[in-house]
Amino acid sequence: MAPQDGLRIETVVIGAGITGLSTALFLARAGREVMVLDRGDPWGESSGGNAGTLSLQVKHPLVLDLMQLSLDLWEAEAGSRNLGYERTGGVRVALSQDEVVMLKKSVALQQRHGYGFDYLEGKALHRAVPWLGPGVLAASLSPRDAFSSPLRCGPQLLRAVSEAGVDIVDHREVQAIEPDGGYRLVTPAGAIRCDIVVIAAGVWSGHISAMLGVELPLMVDVNMLTITEPVDHVLDRVVTHIGGVLSLKQYPNGTCMIGGGWQGKGNPESGTKELDYEQLLHNLRIAARVVPGLRQLRILRSWSGFESVAPDALPVLGRLPGREGVFIATGARGGYSLGPAQGMLLAELITDGHTRLPADSFDPARLV
Amino acid sequence: MKSTDIAIVGAGPAGLAAAREAVESGLSVMLMDDNSQPGGQYFRQLPRQFSRVDRVRHGRAERLFEVLDHPRLHYLPDCVVWDVPEQGILAYAAGTGSGRVRADAIIIAAGATDRPLPFPGWTLPGVITAGGSQNMIKGQAVRPGDDVVVAGNGPLLLVAAMHLISAGATVRAVVEAAPFQRRAWSRLASLSWSPSLLVQALSWRLRLAAARVPFLTGQAVIEAHGAPALEAVSIAPVDHRGGINRASVTTLEADCLVVGNGLAPAVELTRLAGCAHHHDPMLGGWTPRRTKDLETTVPGLYTVGDGAAIGGVELALAEGRMAALAALLQRFPCACLHKRRHNLARHLDRLGRFRTAVADIFAPPETFLELITPETPVCRCENVTLGELGHLAADGAAGMVQLKSTTRLSMGRCQGRFCLATLADLVATRRGIKVADLDWPRFRPPARPVLLGDLLHEEIPPPVLPDDPHLPRGS
Repeated sequence: MAPQDGLRIETVVIGAGITGLSTALFLARAGREVMVLDRGDPWGESSGGNAGTLSLQVKHPLVLDLMQLSLDLWEAEAGSRNLGYERTGGVRVALSQDEVVMLKKSVALQQRHGYGFDYLEGKALHRAVPWLGPGVLAASLSPRDAFSSPLRCGPQLLRAVSEAGVDIVDHREVQAIEPDGGYRLVTPAGAIRCDIVVIAAGVWSGHISAMLGVELPLMVDVNMLTITEPVDHVLDRVVTHIGGVLSLKQYPNGTCMIGGGWQGKGNPESGTKELDYEQLLHNLRIAARVVPGLRQLRILRSWSGFESVAPDALPVLGRLPGREGVFIATGARGGYSLGPAQGMLLAELITDGHTRLPADSFDPARLV
Repeated sequence: MKSTDIAIVGAGPAGLAAAREAVESGLSVMLMDDNSQPGGQYFRQLPRQFSRVDRVRHGRAERLFEVLDHPRLHYLPDCVVWDVPEQGILAYAAGTGSGRVRADAIIIAAGATDRPLPFPGWTLPGVITAGGSQNMIKGQAVRPGDDVVVAGNGPLLLVAAMHLISAGATVRAVVEAAPFQRRAWSRLASLSWSPSLLVQALSWRLRLAAARVPFLTGQAVIEAHGAPALEAVSIAPVDHRGGINRASVTTLEADCLVVGNGLAPAVELTRLAGCAHHHDPMLGGWTPRRTKDLETTVPGLYTVGDGAAIGGVELALAEGRMAALAALLQRFPCACLHKRRHNLARHLDRLGRFRTAVADIFAPPETFLELITPETPVCRCENVTLGELGHLAADGAAGMVQLKSTTRLSMGRCQGRFCLATLADLVATRRGIKVADLDWPRFRPPARPVLLGDLLHEEIPPPVLPDDPHLPRGS
């Protein structure tokens, strides 16, 4: 199926990752006509290669409501298809007295925002979570934390979106966007005309918005991940860290995924993604400190992937300033976990003009 | 970070030969090997703890091992070189220590991997690779089975059969897919490039004949049967295109099937280093591009022996010396070294021609894909069958990368070593293109699975933790 020059579609979503596909799904369910374009394989970048952590308690207080909505959506969707989703609950650890102070403050702040998480320390914590190492002094616990294996989720979500009547066109890079009343998207295989453009292109979102003359100061994180060999099940919760430098979970197939936002080296323009040796060692070291049993496992693969992050790390979700009919969703730390909610809110904004949750603090206009 | 003149990966024939050449000329060498004992696959040794009186003392091996006592050589056994984090630097991990070593020259002599081909029953207990059989006999003094069928393609089948007989097994048959004999006589002249190797090969053949081992050519094992372990194997004629004549099947009882379909160079480290590779089935598949000096496209990084291109022990020994000489010449350009290199180059040339002749004689059928049934696992770590792949790849649109991520093929413990080549054959055949033209999944560190705890020995500056976990960390 190759769109010909002049093909007219109501809405075109740029980017077939979690955010673009979620947006397309909710738009299609609202009766809209949608096509999703991706410059490479669908689900081929960070949506397919991220850690899959869905943690409520690590989120910025301003994002808690959005994350709770997202978890509801993950759970609802996982009820009808296998998204590699599992609600294990999570433990957010502190390794030093300073971190214990930070953790207590964070738990209190979350409480003020209406989210109560249990706080445990010392023996009580180690009784509750026996596989944590002695170096873990305290932790907060969230029953809502979960994970979704990106490799399991991708094919299922792509199928769901296709079944909703959305065309997903791979290897179709948008090279230019020309306003013509609506918009004309230039691709190597011909142009596509549409009324509404949704930019959900992850780390390339800034590049797309720049085609429309809107410069967004988005940053690029190059997050490293490591996966171990499969072993018997021990880790019955996802693990996060108060300082944001560890994410850890054991997937149903027994492999353990180790992340934490340690930075590799990479460049979205050239597509290079490399590891940073010392940063990787720091990542593995802290993982082994929190769960000493990991020392006995072989690691099978380490890699890195891009994450687009706004300077304040809040979602960049809403109308692209000064461009009627152009919407964007990117820039949030943990974009995979927030993807379904961002997709829902953007679809609501497009179809109804308003969203079920307040999204003022996510307005892209704050960055321009 | 440690530093050394030359870092060598692999203490097999190629690595040891390189090490000797280098230390004897005054260079310091760090030699890292993932085995407990030196020798690699060819000179594999029994564990030190074994007290067998009939331990084979291989004179050539002993002479090669002398270098290990040299004061300028730092030998690290049980050590996995797992990444090339920067040009000129190797990352290594061992139970006793891990870290990085910076070297003026790096010589990778990482050896080869068996290239298993899937067929019905290939994952049954009792079905092992030729390399595995050699390991058990040479490295553990264990006989893999009593009634053994040796099958596949290439000269290693003869070697495997020889060792099995020496270990007291009955070899029911050697099943060679190439129509060996007819071609061999017509190619004898070309084999004379290395008379000593030719004599060795003929002596193997004669010893097998003396042991009354049937040598079946132009045939392949089409199925291994048994529950819960191997009981019998079915054999059928296979033509040069890989077509199987299923009307003419014979069945042999066996408790062990040794399968060898040639070797593939272990190119993980040259991949991770960013060296350019090309695909040459005669050399074992993907092989790094090398100069006459055996230097890759990454300056100062050499690769030798079966780890670069399959060629056997004589070629490995000569290549090891050549790479060390080339590295030496970078430091001490002098006439006598040039002369030594010139002579060595001629020797390498002769051995290379012998390799070509052998590869020609043992030329396998174009493909073995016809052996694989829909129920056959292609990826045994993740248990992905041909049926599952075929369903996804039916329209020819899905490439290797996509099939990998949707099925998890190649994502298990073997890191793709045992299945990616088969997947490539499948996809290339379906699309009617060459294996070399496919988009292969990227190689990722570690080069081999490595214990997480073994990676943590190196002292590095303490980490800078983010002030605010929510803020961006990159640029």
